[in-house]
Amino acid sequence: MGRFFLVISLVMAALLSGCAPHYQWTRSHPAYKIPPRDELTVIGVDKAFVLVRSAWFAKKLGISTDSIQTKVTSDCSRLLAEELKKRYSRLKMVPSSKLDGLPEESLKLDQRIFIKGKFPEQGVAVTDSSGNIPKNILIIHEIILGTDLNRENYFDYALIHNESTEKKTSNKLTAIVSYTLWDNERQRSLYSAVDQIEKPIEKISMSDIEVLVGDIATQIQRELDIGAAP
Amino acid sequence: MKKLLFFLLVGLLAGFTNARDVYFNSHYTLWKDGDILIWNVDKSITIDPKEFCLSLKRNNSSIGDPKCRVFGEWERDSVAHRYGKWLGYNLEPNTKAEHLKARHPAMIAKIQALEDKIVMFVSKTDNVVKLALFDEIASTPKVAGTVAYNNDQVALYDDMANSFFDLPAKRRLTKKEREKLATEPDEYYKETPKFNGWIGVGLGYSQAKIPLTPDNWYRSHIDSKVRRYRVTKDSTSLWNFIDDSDPFLNIYAGGTWYGFIGAEIIYRLAKHTVKTDNKDTSYDELDHWYFYQHEIGLSIHLSKTFPMNRWLDITPFIFLGFQYSFFVEDIDVEDDIEKPSAAYEKRVKFEDVYKGALVGFGSQFVFAKHYGISLRTGVSSRGRDTYSDPSPDAAAEPTTIGGSTIDCFISLGLEYHWIL
Repeated sequence: MGRFFLVISLVMAALLSGCAPHYQWTRSHPAYKIPPRDELTVIGVDKAFVLVRSAWFAKKLGISTDSIQTKVTSDCSRLLAEELKKRYSRLKMVPSSKLDGLPEESLKLDQRIFIKGKFPEQGVAVTDSSGNIPKNILIIHEIILGTDLNRENYFDYALIHNESTEKKTSNKLTAIVSYTLWDNERQRSLYSAVDQIEKPIEKISMSDIEVLVGDIATQIQRELDIGAAP
Repeated sequence: MKKLLFFLLVGLLAGFTNARDVYFNSHYTLWKDGDILIWNVDKSITIDPKEFCLSLKRNNSSIGDPKCRVFGEWERDSVAHRYGKWLGYNLEPNTKAEHLKARHPAMIAKIQALEDKIVMFVSKTDNVVKLALFDEIASTPKVAGTVAYNNDQVALYDDMANSFFDLPAKRRLTKKEREKLATEPDEYYKETPKFNGWIGVGLGYSQAKIPLTPDNWYRSHIDSKVRRYRVTKDSTSLWNFIDDSDPFLNIYAGGTWYGFIGAEIIYRLAKHTVKTDNKDTSYDELDHWYFYQHEIGLSIHLSKTFPMNRWLDITPFIFLGFQYSFFVEDIDVEDDIEKPSAAYEKRVKFEDVYKGALVGFGSQFVFAKHYGISLRTGVSSRGRDTYSDPSPDAAAEPTTIGGSTIDCFISLGLEYHWIL
């Protein structure tokens, strides 16, 4: 009888571990072979940042609750542009208004993971401010800043409508970044990913957020390099 | 001359290796007498619809009388033009259908509105013609690939037709037929399900050896003889005592509901001779010794009917059931024997009844909805009638005679069918 229960429990354990979701957070196009080196055009940085738990941040950083969202997001946008510039010397920025008027689409990474964002139209190449057609464009869809966030809760469609209140903790500073490397010549997505970047909190200050933004830029560069299949 | 040969060879090689390349093919429905719309975005090649249609007819005899025309509506539309241009430079080897999905809502709507028409996208780059076929089902191409360009128009069209339209065409239902099909009540929702019943009588043959299994599983049972009316080496199988390979008569009646699930009652009769040892003098008094095997069984019947034509339906089935077996002894001594021997009086006795299982498959061939021929085969067993809990001295208990008697059978029956 004991053996019977052992077998049953083993089967249950196997089933449960099989059911636990295993996510695929990136997607490469088979034609993505060479990652961008120095030259890169970025779109969407100016409107990408979103701050959650803004009241908590306002209190900790000593900024008024009214201006915390605009202050932090605009600072972060500027910082990310600077950090990317350090990594891609011929960086060009395109304002996100270039994508205005396009419908929001979802891009499937996994059975349950979908990126939501705007993508340039098929058959229409995006031009930069001087009228040139850049080869590749990095589209930053969204960067969610907060504490102890889990990307599953934002990108797994089965979980995003969860309304159960979770206990708000603040052990780590978290950024969830979703972006796509866009082949502007052939108008197709070469590489898409959702990354979660974390930094332990000791005593929070604006410089912690600055370091985190630097980490975001590093992570994006690393992912773009890994994602290219030679 | 050498140069010419070289060019010929290169040309041939290129012809063989690069003649056609189908990137993916997620089978679409090709309609008989269908509409083929030629979507030529960049006009890098001219396609003559009339000639192309003739090529289709030549290469696919089932296609009927297709109508081909230039798809001007899409060629003039700016959204379709952008997507077409995009498709032209994104159609590459190794691309899958998902990479070529139309994203613009207006484009998706256009594809959905095709209504049984097939759109053939064509574009020529270098020396290959890129092709992609669309139907209304998906916003991705159903088939995509290339064929080598050929200056000979007819050869090129033949190659295109042969590579991308080479599947059996189906007849398109008329508007009336569709309406009827859409409003027809579903058979599975009827209050009284359709019942298909039959009675049948058949002849069959059974034996202990199951085909494709090793002989040594059965040899000891089949070769065994009965000495002094009861002695064999092993008594677990009745085939130690009686002949295993004999014909039998089969009477049965059954029915299925929904043409899928049903039941069948079977009666089976066979006559088996006891395998007496001729060298044994104790049988000198014996006139004959038989056992009549009567079996009554009930089985679950699962089937599916395939109507072949107006007068023939073929219904393959599987069955799984249980049965009770009775072995009725018929024994007599010679007329001149006054009193049989003691061994005769103490001869082997079988159980009153055996319970067993039967499993198998077969097929019914029903002609004109009523007259059927049925062929079936399976395995049946006979075991103890009742189960008792194993006791600590179970090993010391005598085994039930014939507690593991298994045979396989095949039978051919004539049936009468009716539908309620």
